[in-house]
This record gives sequence, structure tokens and C-alpha cells, in this order.
Amino acid sequence: MSVQVQSLDRELDRLEGLWSDGLSETYRAYLDNVGRFAPEKQPKLALAAALIEVGLRLQGLGGRPAPPTTLLMGDLCLARGSRLLADNAPLAVQVAFARAIESMSSAAASEQPTPATRPLLASSLGAGS
Amino acid sequence: MSPHRIEFATSRATEFVDVTDRIREAVRRSGLRDGRVHLQSLHTTLGIAVNENEPLLHRDFESMLERLAPTGAGYEHDDFTRRFDIPLDEPVNGHAHCRQLLLSAFATLLVEDGQLLLGRWQSVFAVELDGPRHRQLALQLDGDFARLRDEVPEALVEIELSRQLMVDPDAVASPMRRLVEAGGKRLRPKLVQLTAAIGPRNDPLRAAELAAAVELLHNATLVHDDYVDESTYRRGRPTVASEEGPERAIAVGDFYFAKATRLIAEMGNAGVTSAVAEALEAICASQIDDVALRGAYPGDRESYLRVVRGKTASLFAAACASGALLSEAAPEVVGALRRYGDLLGIAFQMADDMVDFSPSSGKPVGQDVRQRVLSLPLIYAAEDRVVGPEVRRLLAGTLGDAEVGRVTELVTSCEALPRVRKEAQALVEDAVRELESIALDGLRPTLVGLARSAVDRNS
Repeated sequence: MSVQVQSLDRELDRLEGLWSDGLSETYRAYLDNVGRFAPEKQPKLALAAALIEVGLRLQGLGGRPAPPTTLLMGDLCLARGSRLLADNAPLAVQVAFARAIESMSSAAASEQPTPATRPLLASSLGAGS
Repeated sequence: MSPHRIEFATSRATEFVDVTDRIREAVRRSGLRDGRVHLQSLHTTLGIAVNENEPLLHRDFESMLERLAPTGAGYEHDDFTRRFDIPLDEPVNGHAHCRQLLLSAFATLLVEDGQLLLGRWQSVFAVELDGPRHRQLALQLDGDFARLRDEVPEALVEIELSRQLMVDPDAVASPMRRLVEAGGKRLRPKLVQLTAAIGPRNDPLRAAELAAAVELLHNATLVHDDYVDESTYRRGRPTVASEEGPERAIAVGDFYFAKATRLIAEMGNAGVTSAVAEALEAICASQIDDVALRGAYPGDRESYLRVVRGKTASLFAAACASGALLSEAAPEVVGALRRYGDLLGIAFQMADDMVDFSPSSGKPVGQDVRQRVLSLPLIYAAEDRVVGPEVRRLLAGTLGDAEVGRVTELVTSCEALPRVRKEAQALVEDAVRELESIALDGLRPTLVGLARSAVDRNS
């Protein structure tokens, strides 16, 4: 585990506070969903999913909108998660994640209940398998 | 008139080299729509023929040439004792010259609707008669050329944007459509389209898809920016946040962030996906820096450049690099265009800062000052020996109409604006220099013009 986390140091730049504030638990939860990928990709993909989940939560998507500075932190989480997917995930997984965010944000914009984030993102990690 | 050369090496004494595809490529790259390709052999023992590409037939032709002008049949040209100024490597090739007389050294081919006009079985051959050798054919193309090179087919991007917005749920599409239809300079999509025409795989439709996705991504970031900056108007219309509330603004921004990244990923070019993803991350990181710097407003030049490089220049650079990557341009071309985009993006932002102090821009003067947006003219004014103390004092307090008016007056009265203009122009010239060492297939003037016009503007 510590080796995996060390390999993520660069990816946690500016997000160290979030890591100790719940991102690490979310990351560990997603490790269960990345077993089918190459070992060196697993931590990065679990982190990507965790960043997207935490990013959406920080933004307050579908709930109470975040204040500006928190929104920006959420945006950074989403962008970094997206970049990690672009660099490490197969195309089907990248597309599944994007579609998951599209479905959650369009539900939020329509004031409909937003689908639960974690199951949606966990199933996105299984796309194309 | 568009000149080209086709070069190749032959490996046999007599050889039929099919050059049809290379002529087609020259036509495609030139943008010739209707006209002619004039083809000329630059050698006296290399002919041109239009015929069928069938190997046994080539053997028949070869046999026919051998019968009509047999090798070593006592040609006077081969009697070196009767000739003057014979080079040391002069070949015995009277037969090859005679054979070339039976063929032709020229051909004119027709182009209709951008396609080389050939019959079903017709191919164009360079006929080697005295190989093996290195050979050259000259091509000139004349007629009506598509204006694609000079005029980016902007309509394709607008159609693609409309098409994408049409299929989206109304709750997200309506606010985004209003923002997109309100205009904007469309510089990023233009850069994608231009650079996507540079490499060997120039596909205007794919380029327009990528360009539209990049524009959607840019607009998605603006929707969140406007909420963060508490802006009420953009492009002369109410912002999504001010009109529909922050909840909707966050959702619309997220939807188009996700959709744009999906559209780009679905293009199936990993280099393009990574280039845009990196830019998006840089934008978000520098937004945080931007807001943090407002505590020490107006900041310094170094901080300004760091923020602008991420906030504006990164997407310019990614637009240039991704277009070039999509067209499979060479790595050195992609690298040079990325640097061109980066420098242009910084210069563009500096020009944008200056517009805030221009009464003829059509926008309210001093809006950036009012919203405490990072601005290089303001940084230089705050550093000015004469007006600096007053600028700093005003910026440290509450900024009402009177204070904003006075700050803009002070900025325009000192050397800040000419200094920023000079710096922006120097960056544009640096950007232009990046283009000097790479092959751009005729697009250099357009890219140079675009860079200069991005800085010499008033709105």
C-alpha cells in the first residue's frame, strides 16, 4: 500500500489536505475495482475514480453549490482524475467515466435526483471488460 | 500555380513506377478543386505513361520497347569516339534515349472536384529506361484552388457545435447554446483547424469535431469562472450563474467538461486526449493560483505569467498541438506549434488585459479592476514611480465606481499600456520564430497573421 501511495505523490500535488481529509479512504475503496488492470496502472486508476468522486462532492453537484474556492478545488480534482484516465485507462473506461459525469450533471441541472456516484464510477472502471 | 517535385529511386534498367498516389496526394495537399496537373520528366531517359498497373502488361511493354529499340543495336550515340565532352560516367544508353522518344516526357492530367480524373484502369507511371537511378518528376498544378488554406472552414465548427448541443438535455444545452451563440473569437478552434491541416492526415471533418470539442471545453471553464468571479455578464449576455443560479452553472460546466473530454477520447488519438487533459489540469490549477493571488492584488509579473501560462496559454498550446497530432504531423512540428500556441496565448491574454482600459472596446472600462482580475497593465502601473503609490492605495481599499475610474485613469496616464503592448508584440514575434524551422505546407502566413491580429486588436 505505501509503495502504491508513494507512486501517487506527484498526483497529489496541491491535494495533500484532501488526502488526509477523506480522499485516501475513497481511494482505498476503489482499489477493489481495479484488479483487472496492470499492477502499475491500478493505483492511478483508483485515484482517478476517487478524485472524480471527491471533486463532484466538493463542487456540491446536485446539492448545495460550493463556494467559489471550493468549486475550484473540485474542478482541479475532476481535471486531474480525467488526466489520469487519459494517461492510464483504456478508451472504454475513459468514455464510461465521462458518460457517468454527464448523467450526474444533467440530472443535477434538471433538478432530478442524481445517481449515486460510487456505484456509477465503480461500474465505469469495469467498462469494456 | 503550385509547384511540386516527386522524387524516387529505381532499381532496374527498365521499370514502371506508379506515381498515381503521389500525384493524388499533391492535389489533395494543394487544395486544387478544378484544374490541371502538368507533369514533366526532368530526364532524357525517363518517360511518362498513363496505362494499366498490371505486371504482365508491363513485361509486354518492356518487350515492345526492346523490339523497337533493342539494347546495344549499334546506336551512334554510343560511339564515344565520335562525340565530344563525354563525362567519365557516360553510360551506353542510346537505346534508352530512343525508347523515351516513343513515350513522352510530359503529361497533363485533369482534376475535377478535387479528384484526379482517371479512368477505372488508368494509372500514371514514370517509366525508367536506363536505371537504376534517382529520378525527379516536376509537377505544376493550376486551376481553382479551395480557399481552405487561407480561410478556415469555420462553418464546419459552428455546425458541429450546433449538432452536439442539439442532442443534449435541454437543462444543460440551453444555457450552453446561449453562451456559444453569443459569439467569442473562436481562436482555439481556429488554431485546431489550421494545425490539423499541416500533417499528412488532413481531415477537415475530424478537425472540426476536435475544434468544436475544444471550444465546448473552453466554454465549460468559462461557466465556472463566471461563478467564481461573480461576473454577471459575458459576451454581452447574462452569465449562466447570474441567470440560472450557481447550482445550474456547476452542472452545466461539469456536463460540458465531461462531454468534451469524451468527444476527444472517442477520436481515438491518445496524444490528442493527453494534450487536452494536461491543459485542462493546468487551467484548473492556475485558477486556484489566480484567486489566491487576489489577496496580494495586483501581484507581480512573475506570478502573472505563471497564472496566464496555465489559465490561457495552456489551451492555446494544446489546441495547436492537438490539431497537429490529429493530422499526424512530425514530432518537431507538434513541438514547435505547441510553443507557438503557448507564446501566442500569453500575448493574447496581455492584449485582453489592455482592452479593459480601452474606451472604444465596447465593454465597460475597468471591469477587470472592479473584479480584481489579474492584469499586467495594472501590475506595471502599481510599480510605476509616479502613479504607483496611488494605484496601490486605491487597490488596497474598496473599489467603487470612483476608485475604478481613477485607477483606469492612472493606468492610461503612465507607461503601463505601451509597455504591455511592446511585451505582447515581442511574444508574438517569438511565436512566429517558432514556425521558421518547420514545414507548414503553406500555412505559415495564416498562422503569422493570426498571431499578429490576436494582439493588434481593440476588443
